Amino acid sequence: MAQRHKRFEVLEQRPVNQDGFVTEWVEAGLMAMGSPNDPKPSVKVADGKIVEMDGRGRDEMDFIEIFIADYGINAALAEEMMAKKSVDIARMIVDINVPRGDIIKVFSGLTPAKMAEVMDYLNVVEMMMGIQKMRARRTPANQAHITNLQDNPVLMAADAAEATMYGFAEIETTVAVFNYGPMNALALLIGGQVGRPGVLSQDALEESIELQLGMRGLTAYAETVSVYGTENVFVDGDDTPWSKSFLASAYASRGLKMRFTSGTGAEVQMAYAEGKSMLYLEIKCIMLTKAAGVQGLQNGSISCIGVPAGVPGGIRAVAAENLVAMCMDLESASGNDQTFSHSDMRRTSRLLMQMLPGTDFICSGYSGVPNYDNMFAGSNVDIDDIDDWLVIQRDLRVDGGLKPASEEQIVAIRNKAARAIQAVFEELGLPRITDEEVEAATYAHGSKDMPARDKVQDTKGAQEMLKRGITGVDVVKALAKRGFTDVAEAVLGIQKQRVSGDYLHTSAILDDDFNVIAAVNDLNDYSGPGTGYRLEGDRWTQLADIRQAIRPEDI
Amino acid sequence: MAQITEDMVRSVVAEIVAQMMKNGNGNGAGPIAIDEPVEQIEFTEMGVAKQGTNPKEVVIALAPAFGDKLKMRTLTGVAHAKVLRQVMAGIEEEGMTPRVIRVKHTSDLAFIGKRGAELSGSGIAVPLQSRGTTLIHQKDLSPLQNIELFPQAPVIDLETYRAIGRNAARYAKGESPQPVAQMNDQMTRPKYQAIAAVFHIRETSFVEPGVKPVDLQVKFK
Repeated sequence: MAQRHKRFEVLEQRPVNQDGFVTEWVEAGLMAMGSPNDPKPSVKVADGKIVEMDGRGRDEMDFIEIFIADYGINAALAEEMMAKKSVDIARMIVDINVPRGDIIKVFSGLTPAKMAEVMDYLNVVEMMMGIQKMRARRTPANQAHITNLQDNPVLMAADAAEATMYGFAEIETTVAVFNYGPMNALALLIGGQVGRPGVLSQDALEESIELQLGMRGLTAYAETVSVYGTENVFVDGDDTPWSKSFLASAYASRGLKMRFTSGTGAEVQMAYAEGKSMLYLEIKCIMLTKAAGVQGLQNGSISCIGVPAGVPGGIRAVAAENLVAMCMDLESASGNDQTFSHSDMRRTSRLLMQMLPGTDFICSGYSGVPNYDNMFAGSNVDIDDIDDWLVIQRDLRVDGGLKPASEEQIVAIRNKAARAIQAVFEELGLPRITDEEVEAATYAHGSKDMPARDKVQDTKGAQEMLKRGITGVDVVKALAKRGFTDVAEAVLGIQKQRVSGDYLHTSAILDDDFNVIAAVNDLNDYSGPGTGYRLEGDRWTQLADIRQAIRPEDI
Repeated sequence: MAQITEDMVRSVVAEIVAQMMKNGNGNGAGPIAIDEPVEQIEFTEMGVAKQGTNPKEVVIALAPAFGDKLKMRTLTGVAHAKVLRQVMAGIEEEGMTPRVIRVKHTSDLAFIGKRGAELSGSGIAVPLQSRGTTLIHQKDLSPLQNIELFPQAPVIDLETYRAIGRNAARYAKGESPQPVAQMNDQMTRPKYQAIAAVFHIRETSFVEPGVKPVDLQVKFK
């Protein structure tokens, strides 16, 4: 163009135009919902077995479809539920007079293509109404990521303590360098219990190591067991629905909470979408999760969010996948956990889909550290957004799972976590943590403010932990010996869950006294105004009381 | 101490000579510059890649489209020739021998790396996808494990590719180097992920199921 319009020149500099957008590419599956290649819904049942699903007989089904047909659909109800019009099912979801349990029953008899069709009748406001009613646990909660670029254990423990003081019910770490796995799990366990007894922690790693750390009591749950919607992507990962189910059983047999992970865009990102829409393939993942007997699912595109976000209607599809998981009666850890846009407006509008209605874990997770330290490649919201989050909760009277904390409280808790891990490192013979590091971690914004550690020694120490078979009980002993009695009791409390197993129920979290809050004793009973979870009483007072608000007596 | 046999000497000499011919760099010229003006690569397939026996060898395993198909550039437009040249230079700098192979049966980085490591005489491999994503693999690790992972292609510059080559060579020597310093730009996802998906779909269209990896002779232009 010879001459540029000045407004377009300004627009080009706006954050939203740093985002990448692509056109739909139907044949490759680069389409959010309602691809012309998605199959038409159908079901046939013979002798109590699904013999046709979405136009395919058993001999044409791939291994995911066979698995879903055999274990993911209630064959006794399938023909009755499939006979209902999709638009009527969509209306049931929104209708406050239809209880949650009825919808669960209907969905237990639907095929993937039918669920995709039902979702296509809902706009995003209707989807939010559905999420409000359909999530399993009545009380919403939130999850945080706690990582840092240097895998610095002192900083990690302090950050975990800060996050849990803000009220995150679950915390998740991973590694910058693979060999740090066990040490990061340890830092998260200690820091988390310092900040708020009863918080559940996990360490996203290669699957066998992740399971080992859980069995040793260094983590309390697992989430990064990924499933996919096409056979080729499964095969690329050397897996099948059966191998994933086996892994899930391994966790259950050791009394460890776990959920699967999936999300729209994964198949197309891995180049094997078979030309189907992202939502249709994701619904297969959700059904596969249910079929495997797993209690919950992390979805909402997750690490693939840039893919649906790049195509038309993508963020609507992401809300739809959360809703389908809830309609399948699964715990929903609903995404909002990955950088998604340069635009503050865009990332907020994406967030509200889950934050306003509330989910089991609105973010999975929220970056409890500055995004430059986030080793999940950054989250949609980070610790520097915390006041925005708290103010939005207060503005809209919505419980986003977090509560305000003062600078004094945060400094004190960070210091305690750093001292606790310093003591445990010394007791367990891990590389020394200096007083200077404790001080730095207490006040640090992120890893840039930390003195460097000897990484070769730390990774050796982390691998030593595995070789020496260090368990959660060793951590309890070390804490008790060094006078951190309350933290020792909290870490022991986490170990006890493994024996009682109560937190294996759907959507389970623990309160400060280690009581389980799950879809069994806190089942979502929303049925319109005046029912379900209401932000009121002490909780509302607590959330409304932000430190920035000026009181009359201040003037 | 191991006996040095005539066969071993011969194989080492053969390796060195082959390397000199491959690189056109056997005249004792100084280190390869980061901004070396190579733009293209000429590959000659040398037959099915066999299990390596040279413990000094580090495999660079190329994804199906790397270097000679599509635009021959990474997600951020860096010439594949430059990327490959720097990884090779990093390996050579540590006195080890790069061996370039093409993996055809998969475009999945982890599996390309694992296969490369299995074929590598030292058990170490660096896989390269067309978009520029890479890692360092070791033959005894399970496929989805790795020694170092560089998941954000757009932030890997040529110096980093060279450092990755160097570290791979050092692992091959049995050392425990400090991991390569990584940039972490959390905004690469919103900017590049959808485009990266299109990129990967196109690379995957060159996958040939069941076809074995081949050795490549490499000439830079």
